[in-house]
Amino acid sequence: MILSDLIHKKVLDAEGTVVGNLVDVRFVIDGAPGQLLASARLHGIIVSRGTASTFLGYERNSANSPFILAKFLEWRHRGSFLVRWRDIAMIDDAVHLRASFQRLSPNLPQNRS
Amino acid sequence: MSDTDYPEETYAGRVLDADLHLFDRQVLDVDGEPAFAVDDIEISDVPIGLPLDPAAPAPVIESLLSGPVLATRTFGGRPPSSRLERIPWRHVSDIGTALTLGIHSDELDATWTERWVRDRIIGRIPGGRHDPE
Repeated sequence: MILSDLIHKKVLDAEGTVVGNLVDVRFVIDGAPGQLLASARLHGIIVSRGTASTFLGYERNSANSPFILAKFLEWRHRGSFLVRWRDIAMIDDAVHLRASFQRLSPNLPQNRS
Repeated sequence: MSDTDYPEETYAGRVLDADLHLFDRQVLDVDGEPAFAVDDIEISDVPIGLPLDPAAPAPVIESLLSGPVLATRTFGGRPPSSRLERIPWRHVSDIGTALTLGIHSDELDATWTERWVRDRIIGRIPGGRHDPE
């Protein structure tokens, strides 16, 4: 699967209600060891409630300058959340979440921000 | 940061967000020479339109993709999958501001057009086979 086919899809909960747009896909390099790097495992998806686009990940890290831009983007992406891969029930024209899906903070670990 | 108090996630390894850390990044070969840019990413197959098994292993990155994306970025869509060159993830050795490969760019199919232009056009121009003096 090509990742750009997944990004920008609508994300629906188990009742079919739109909960946001898929704006990014999170990988963790903790898979099977490879020749140089371990496998990059798909950990989850970043869902934005407000917009289908994102800009420099301001809503996911501790960057706070330029102040006005940071505040605007923080406001625009308010309520963004991470959903683990195992909480995805099906993918077709949209991403369907399981009834038990959990909203997690989309923040990046501080050492990567 | 998000203004909603969702629980923080814990990670066992380095975290990469595709759009933030991978797309459009320059890729350097083992000598530090620019090779291509990451235009897209291919992950292992995900069944479309079928229920996903929560116990199944999550997909992994199989390849970095590079290809003719200028027109599709302007007008929408993406190039056919067959037009995209695939660089297997196993060749990636480091990820920073740029991605670094553990192989020479000459070994990649993604750089064949540059090699063709160098050998068939630039190389036939007098003085085209050595550095400027």
